[in-house]
Amino acid sequence: MNSWPRNPIAILGAGLAGLVAANELQRRSLPFRLFEAGTQIAGLARSFRDEAGFSYDFGAHFITNRLAAALGIGGRCRDVRFYSEAVWLAGRPLTYPWGLAGSPKLLFSVLRSKLSGSARPPTTAADAFTAEYGSDFARLVAIPLIERWSGIPASELAPSVAEKISGGVVHLVQVSVARRLTARAVAHGYCSEQPESIHVWHVYPEEGLSTLCEHLASHLSTGIEMQSPVERILVEDERVKAIRVHGKEVEVSAIMSTAPVNVLAKLVEGTDALTFLTRFRYRPMTFVNLRFEGRGLLPAVMLWLPEADYPFFRLTEAPLSMPWLAPDGMTMLTADLSCDVGDGIWTMPENQIGELCLEHIARIVPDARQRYRGCSVLRTPLAYPIFLAEYERERREFARSTGVAGLSSIGRNGEFAHILMEDVYWRTLRRTSELASWLDTAPPPSTLLAQHA
Amino acid sequence: MLESLVENTASLQLEEVSCCMCGQSDAEPIAVGEDFEYHSSPETFLAFFCRRCSLVYLSPRPTADSLPCIYPANYHAFNFSAEEFGLSYKVRSWLETRRLRGPCRDLSATARILDVGCGDGFHLRLLRQLGPSSWQLEGVDADARAVEAARASGLVVHPGDVQDVDLLLSSYDLALLIMTVEHLADPLRTLLRIRELLRPGGRLMVITDNTATVDFKLFRRRHWGGYHFPRHWNLFDSKSLRALFGRAGLEVEELTTMVSPVNWVYSIRNLLVDWKAPEWLVERFSLSSSVSLGVFTIFDLCWMLMGRGAILRAIARRPMASSAANDLSEPTAEQ
Repeated sequence: MNSWPRNPIAILGAGLAGLVAANELQRRSLPFRLFEAGTQIAGLARSFRDEAGFSYDFGAHFITNRLAAALGIGGRCRDVRFYSEAVWLAGRPLTYPWGLAGSPKLLFSVLRSKLSGSARPPTTAADAFTAEYGSDFARLVAIPLIERWSGIPASELAPSVAEKISGGVVHLVQVSVARRLTARAVAHGYCSEQPESIHVWHVYPEEGLSTLCEHLASHLSTGIEMQSPVERILVEDERVKAIRVHGKEVEVSAIMSTAPVNVLAKLVEGTDALTFLTRFRYRPMTFVNLRFEGRGLLPAVMLWLPEADYPFFRLTEAPLSMPWLAPDGMTMLTADLSCDVGDGIWTMPENQIGELCLEHIARIVPDARQRYRGCSVLRTPLAYPIFLAEYERERREFARSTGVAGLSSIGRNGEFAHILMEDVYWRTLRRTSELASWLDTAPPPSTLLAQHA
Repeated sequence: MLESLVENTASLQLEEVSCCMCGQSDAEPIAVGEDFEYHSSPETFLAFFCRRCSLVYLSPRPTADSLPCIYPANYHAFNFSAEEFGLSYKVRSWLETRRLRGPCRDLSATARILDVGCGDGFHLRLLRQLGPSSWQLEGVDADARAVEAARASGLVVHPGDVQDVDLLLSSYDLALLIMTVEHLADPLRTLLRIRELLRPGGRLMVITDNTATVDFKLFRRRHWGGYHFPRHWNLFDSKSLRALFGRAGLEVEELTTMVSPVNWVYSIRNLLVDWKAPEWLVERFSLSSSVSLGVFTIFDLCWMLMGRGAILRAIARRPMASSAANDLSEPTAEQ
């Protein structure tokens, strides 16, 4: 183990990844400082509860009993009893997977693709979806959905957006049987870091998603430095040296950043190694939470809408899975609207965007207007990373390493990865462990900080 | 989860830990489970498999302050009585007596025997019947309820942790750690302590759940009885147990597997409880159920003959010769 004096490890961002990293460093007795730019912790893992008794997140989140157990909040979660997905096509729902399999056109499309195999590796998302699902399924469902979600033609997206976590009909049948037998929403295609099992199912915190981060924050013996944006990351000889916060430089031994990678690139000073990250893009999203009387308005918990004449590409009725998220006799539909910062959707007033959604929901739920009781809107400029084919090679390299010694980029935005909450947890632990190992073996830093002062 | 039948709704204090053998966290979460047996808390628990040591360990696990919560008053080790368990008690007494004969064979008439984690004194009572009255039998248990139950049988029991109890060093001929090592936070520390309590040449017998078994393989994702969520904190196979003895400076004389139906029966019971099977069916699988215990005893016997019995039994000896191994200081686990 290294014996050189250890400066703190700076953690940028007190969202799920930042707080997991902080707890792990604390457990390993490694000094750290946790900086949060905003006035609240939890980032996109925040949840809200309104006066009428509705709870909602940035989009509908699900966690698993395994993640809850790992965090030590299993006792504060409830089992999710039911989960289902469907695709709305030509005015009717096709449930996943068996309803879709009941459509001869789609079934034949998938079977043909499986039987024929692919001649060469796909170079775009469009090719990848066609190879995976056949031309009809790709044309009618997969490609329109990815394009509506990302705002980019599938021919310009990398094939990696089509990568699935798990597969196989046998596993799918196992999951379906286990869901019926146990009356639990067995997780499927949720986590890539740990094996799927019929004993891993969805749960949800009784007090909302914020419970995760609040619990993690409560276990820190070192306070979180709120409203402390890191202004600069100083790199020397391709190794992190210090950060600048509130105009002052602080020497650090390493950095774990949850910042979006295009922001991270601009923070770094003293190297060009991360310049390529400025081209990486995230998709902004507007989430409209619409309150209704009644329950069970949608044919499935999550309804995918690939057809372009809907303003949203997904509707979620979370209270079907988590009844406690809405008062008795009420429900909430969350509409996901893909957008750009500053465009018409982004700037649309709340009542107007609610009206827009309502108008289209009425095509699915005929009496929606009579049931409607208002809405609230959440917006984020950083909902999902976009895997453009033009920077796919750099993205894959970045997934292996930032290229700067002592700099680790963690969390969904920091890793620039399509990962859900449990993956964020396990991957952050892994990266923290890797960083700790590096600190153990790295040579002492030189003392050239004065040059930056 | 909250919907479980929870008798004690107090929230546990939990702490994350690393593998107690290597001090690392290079581990895979293999099971998520609940306290299916006693419903002592609404928490869910995670068992990890250490890729380096093959140790299975609980993390996060209850803190020391939470022990009274996870060992409720009706915990079976506090009162495993003939009145309550009938035929099971008799069969177990017979089996356990046979198992105790081996390490007791060479003991002198004035032997001192220490049962660490003696519970209600079940094994000490067996030894009282097995050996001469001149044997000095002592027990140690950290739980006041267990100590009270054992003392009620006239046994000498020291309350507290074996680390802290004032006992004569290098004085014991035999120490027992029966179905106890899996409950310990730091098994190595306890073995080092036992080692200094044993006289040179004195023996330690450890009996614990075996993770290299078919029942573990079948039920390892959630319902395996050996997890005993959240009370079993470290679970071994022969490799990790042998490594533990090595680090404690004890020479392994014997390491075998033994028959036990308990993990089979409790694995099925846990599954039935978890999947909300009718009560009458659940009750067919318990320590009071002679039929299921009998069937799985025969079943596990077949596996034991192939070296994969449900229980590990190890006998180790404190070396006679004065050597570096005899002057072990407690190693510290690296973070």
